[in-house]
Parts: sequence; structure tokens; C-alpha cells
Amino acid sequence: MDSTRGRWSGFIIWTGLTIVTLLPIYWMVLVSLRRRVDLFGNPSLIPDRIFWGNYAEVLADDRFQRFMINSLIVATSNAVLVCTLGLLGAYAMSRFKLTGKNNIFFWTLTNRMAPPAAFLIAYFLLFTVVFRVGDVTMLDTRIGLILVYCVFNLPFALWLLQGIIDGIPKELDEAAMVDGASLWQVLWTVILPLAKPGLAVTAILTWVFAWNEYLLAATLTRTEARTITTFLAEFVTVTGTNWGAMAAAATMTLLPAVIFLALVQRHIVAGLTFGAVKE
Amino acid sequence: MVSVALRSVSKVWDETVALKALDLDVHEGEFLVLLGPSGCGKSTTMRIIAGLESATSGQVLLDGQDVTNQPPRDRNVAMVFQNYALYPHMTVEENIGYPLRIAGVRKPDRAAHIRKAAERVDLLDLLRRRPKQLSGGQRQRVALARALVRDPSVFLLDEPLSNLDAKLRVAMRAEIKHLQRQLGVTTIYVTHDQIEAMTLADRVVVMNKGEMQQIGTPDDIYDDAENLFVAGFIGSPPMNFIEGAVEAGTFASDGVRVQGAPGHDGSVTLGFRAEDARLADGTGMIAGHVFDVEPTGDATLIVVQIGSNRATFRADKRTRPTIGDPIAFDVPPGEVRYFDTATGQRIRA
Ligand SMILES: Nc1ncnc2c1ncn2[C@@H]1O[C@H](COP(=O)(O)OP(=O)(O)O)[C@@H](O)[C@H]1O
Ligand SMILES: [Mg+2]
Repeated sequence: MDSTRGRWSGFIIWTGLTIVTLLPIYWMVLVSLRRRVDLFGNPSLIPDRIFWGNYAEVLADDRFQRFMINSLIVATSNAVLVCTLGLLGAYAMSRFKLTGKNNIFFWTLTNRMAPPAAFLIAYFLLFTVVFRVGDVTMLDTRIGLILVYCVFNLPFALWLLQGIIDGIPKELDEAAMVDGASLWQVLWTVILPLAKPGLAVTAILTWVFAWNEYLLAATLTRTEARTITTFLAEFVTVTGTNWGAMAAAATMTLLPAVIFLALVQRHIVAGLTFGAVKE
Repeated sequence: MVSVALRSVSKVWDETVALKALDLDVHEGEFLVLLGPSGCGKSTTMRIIAGLESATSGQVLLDGQDVTNQPPRDRNVAMVFQNYALYPHMTVEENIGYPLRIAGVRKPDRAAHIRKAAERVDLLDLLRRRPKQLSGGQRQRVALARALVRDPSVFLLDEPLSNLDAKLRVAMRAEIKHLQRQLGVTTIYVTHDQIEAMTLADRVVVMNKGEMQQIGTPDDIYDDAENLFVAGFIGSPPMNFIEGAVEAGTFASDGVRVQGAPGHDGSVTLGFRAEDARLADGTGMIAGHVFDVEPTGDATLIVVQIGSNRATFRADKRTRPTIGDPIAFDVPPGEVRYFDTATGQRIRA
């Protein structure tokens, strides 16, 4: 009896949470499928007529495609770069004697302590004035954005991956070295596969960070390197907001994130290191 | 021929001196055991040979070549770790084949070697499993197979049996010895268990506090200890010690008088083994009172209080003296050892 009741209450709680999570998204999709005139009538949860015009409007805008590609490139490069540097850095911090190891960690972490907005002017000056070679600056470049996001994501990646690598027994490295492996082979054949769950988490969180980031993207890009989040904001204008098109663009912006999550999520398998050494 | 040579190798960490100028020659095909209490520098010695640790000073030679500054991968040594260190993300087959994969052997060529190594340690049925699906003994076999898959010039084993239960330990001990005889690979084996050392070794190195105390065959070490440490470490029960003094060739202590002591007069510790003593009918060389009686099944160990010393004697299993009774023993003169109490060194005739 009790276990049945427990199952039912669990079911109800999860259903409730799922609805709370999904309702805004459903609402967004709903808005994207309505005409402007229908939006301000009686709100209803069931679409009466499906209208694709908003999607057509957004897709016809060549900026949407460009910015989408920019976002994909920036988010993916950022995730790859952060995972690579994070793994190498975390390995060094975990395995090598480094002078001031604990301070390195604290120092990288301070980069995340202040709100990004606090650094906005500094970044803007760096991007326009300081890092200038002739006419070339980092303003409005994808690489500029990728590097800035690394500054924000690396501390987290280092922290997470160091924890993971600390959990991989050092004897495994040593066994591999005696078995003939070089340092790179140890990293590639032993550490990397065992740190995969941590790398997957890092990849997801850094990718999503870069995909969603608005403030820095809006400030440090102009026309060429703009990302999709800045595009979404453009629907809000002084003459009014194009809700339908905005919802359509937002829905399409959500899709790559969902696909990316689905791809990476299955690598998050915990407890893989069990059985390496006898506890 | 010398396979592994250490030339006054020392290792110092910030505070601790782990090894003090160790000199060691390991012969080709020999089974050498490093024996000593925990913390005496056995693992450090082995790790320096493997290249996992660098020596603070001194030289390491493998097959006559100076490898002191070579990384582990250029040394062709194989090592079995105390906690096995199997790669958890690889199957048994991949674990065993790992050294070959790293050496660039192609997959089809690896298979035959892997099967041969797996066969030697009786693992053929488990090749598809992962380490976490194996028992402790099976994991140990995988570690052995991984070590012998590529014909290493030296085999290093650091307390490989200490994580196994007592019964399995005895079985694996025999297997390791058999395997080593079969392969004829130079083997260095670390243990703190003197029974393991005695049963496995061609020669034993007894270590204490980073220093070699004695090197010799198990018989040498047991019968002809160089100092008090070795005599007290080897044997179960360990050698009995009676502190006293020698005057004009006679050793004397409370309840003990032994003629024919070698060396000068002075403080001397007399040593003898439990099984070398014979129960004396009336008065004996050593007299005292029964302190405790410990039947072991095949014999009776009698702990005797002799003045301020205590000694253990081995008697027939039917001998059951009463606690507190006076008792006396004789030890044949050839089985008595004398040590300088101050230095701990053996005094020979
Ligand atoms: N990485 C290290 N840093 C500092 N001291 C160490 C380290 N490894 C071992 N030691 C010290 O060196 C001594 C010898 O250690 P070890 O060779 O592991 O002993 P054993 O294997 O004989 O038990 C010990 O006192 C130990 O505390
Ligand atoms: Mg040790």
C-alpha cells in the first residue's frame, strides 16, 4: 500500500515539475504559431490555427542564418577549447608539483567572482584599442568572443576536471608509464577516457554558457560576429515588439542546444573508475 | 651476468631519508626479494629501478646500461602494483594488450601474445570482462599477464599479494614462483612478509630504515644473521634474545650461563631459535619459569621468563608444562649466536 502511494505521489510531483518546466517553452511555441492579431485575443493553451508565417519571416532574414552559424561556431569552439585546456591544466594541477598550485586555482576562480558586466568596459578597450595591430582588432570577431568565453568557463572546467582527475588513481598513470606510455599517451589512453563524464559535463555547461550569453556578445560584436541571442533582442524595438517572430526565432534557437545535450548526455556515466585499484 | 645494478643509490625527501647509499647487484634470472618493515624504503628502491622516482644520487644500471636519467618507458621493465592498477575502462584483453598497443604492435598481431599471456595465468575465459567484474585474485592475474606479455628484462612486483586473503595468497605465491622459474625473468619482489620472502627468493635483501642489513639466500638469512635486526625480523617466532655480559669467555645473565663465548668481554646479547632448544631434565644451560604455554597444533610453544628476559621454546606437541613451574633448556653450542649489544653486530668466533 505504502509503496503504491509513494509511487503515486512521486508521479504527481514529477508531473508537476515537468509541467512547470515545459509550460513556458510550450507557450513560446504557441506564440510562434499565431498571427499577431490572435496574440492579444483570448489566451488559450490549444492552438486553433497553425500559422507558419513567423518562421518564414525569420528564416527569410539572412542575418538569422549568419548569426546562427556564428553561435554554433563560437559555442562549439569554446567548448572544445575549454575542455582541452581544462583537461591539460587540471592534469598538471592534479599530478605535478607546481609552485603556488592553490593560488593558481584561487586566481582563476576570481575571474568568475565579479559580474561580467564589471569587466565590460575593460574588455571593450582591450578589444578596440589595446589588442590592435594596424587596423586589425578583436572587436566583432568570433575568435575574440571565443577567447572571452574561455576566461569565464575555464575556472569552472579546471575545478571540475581537477576533482575528476584527483579521483583517478595515480598508479594508473604510473602503470601506463611502465607499460611504455609517454605523457601524451597516458593522457590520451588513460586519463581522457576516464575523465569523459567530467568532460561531458564541462562541454555541456560551457557550450550552453556561450550559446546563451548576451551581454558580452552584444558589446563586443557589431555585424560580422553577432550571435543568435543578440538577434533575439532585436525584435524588441521602439515601435513595438514582434512577438510572433521573436518566439519563432527563440524556438529555433533552442533546437541546437537540445540536440547538443542529447548527444553529449550519454557520456555522463558515473562510477567508471571503480575496480581500478582495490579500495 | 648482472641484470640490475644499483650504485650507491640514495633518495631523500624534504625531511626523510628513504634510502642511504644502496648498492645492489641482481643477477640475470634471479628471484630477489626485498624484505623489511613498512617504511624501510622497499617501494622507493623498486620505483627508482622502474624510473617512477628519480634517485637523489647514485646510478641505476639495467643490463649494464646506465638508465639513471631514462624515463620508465625506455627501461623495458614490467611492474605489478600492490593494488593492481588495472585500467578500469578496458577489458581484460585490452589491459593485457596495453603494453603492446603502446609499443605500436598491430591489433591482429597482439591477439596471439595476449592469449599466450592469459593462458599462463589461467585467464582465457575472462578476456571480455572488465576489471570491476573480477575477483581480487583474478585482478592480480590480469596484472601479472599485463606484465609478462612483452618479455620485459626485469619483472618488478611491489607487495603483489598483500591485498589477497590468506588462502589465496599461499596459492598465488606458488603460482608466481612457478611462473618465474618457467620464464627465467629477473624478478625483484617487495614484501614485508618474511614467510613470502623465504619461500620465494633465491636471495633475500633485508632492509631497515633505508639501509641494507643483509643479503643472502633464505638459509643464510635465517641461520647466519649478521645483526640483531635481521635475527629478530626473520623467523616465526623470531630469534630469542637474552641480554647479558661476557667475562673471560663465559656469557652470563640471570639464569643463563654459557661457556665458550667468542670475542672480548662486554655487553653481549645471546640469541637462539625456539626450535633449537631441548628440554633439559634437571638443570640446563638456560633456566627460568614457565610464563605461558601456546599449543600451535603441531608443537607447543613455551614462553619462559628468564630473569628479566623472556624467550620462546618449541617443544613436542604433547609437552604441556604448568604455568609458574621451573623449567630448563639446553641449546647446542653451534646454534647459539652472539651479538654486540651496543652495535647490534654479530660477534663471530
Ligand atoms: N612521495 C613521498 N614523499 C615523501 N616521503 C615519502 C614519499 N614516498 C615515500 N616516502 C617516505 O620514504 C620512506 C620509505 O617509503 P617506502 O619506500 O614507500 O617504504 P616501504 O615500501 O618499504 O614501506 C618512508 O618513510 C616514507 O614515508
Ligand atoms: Mg611499499
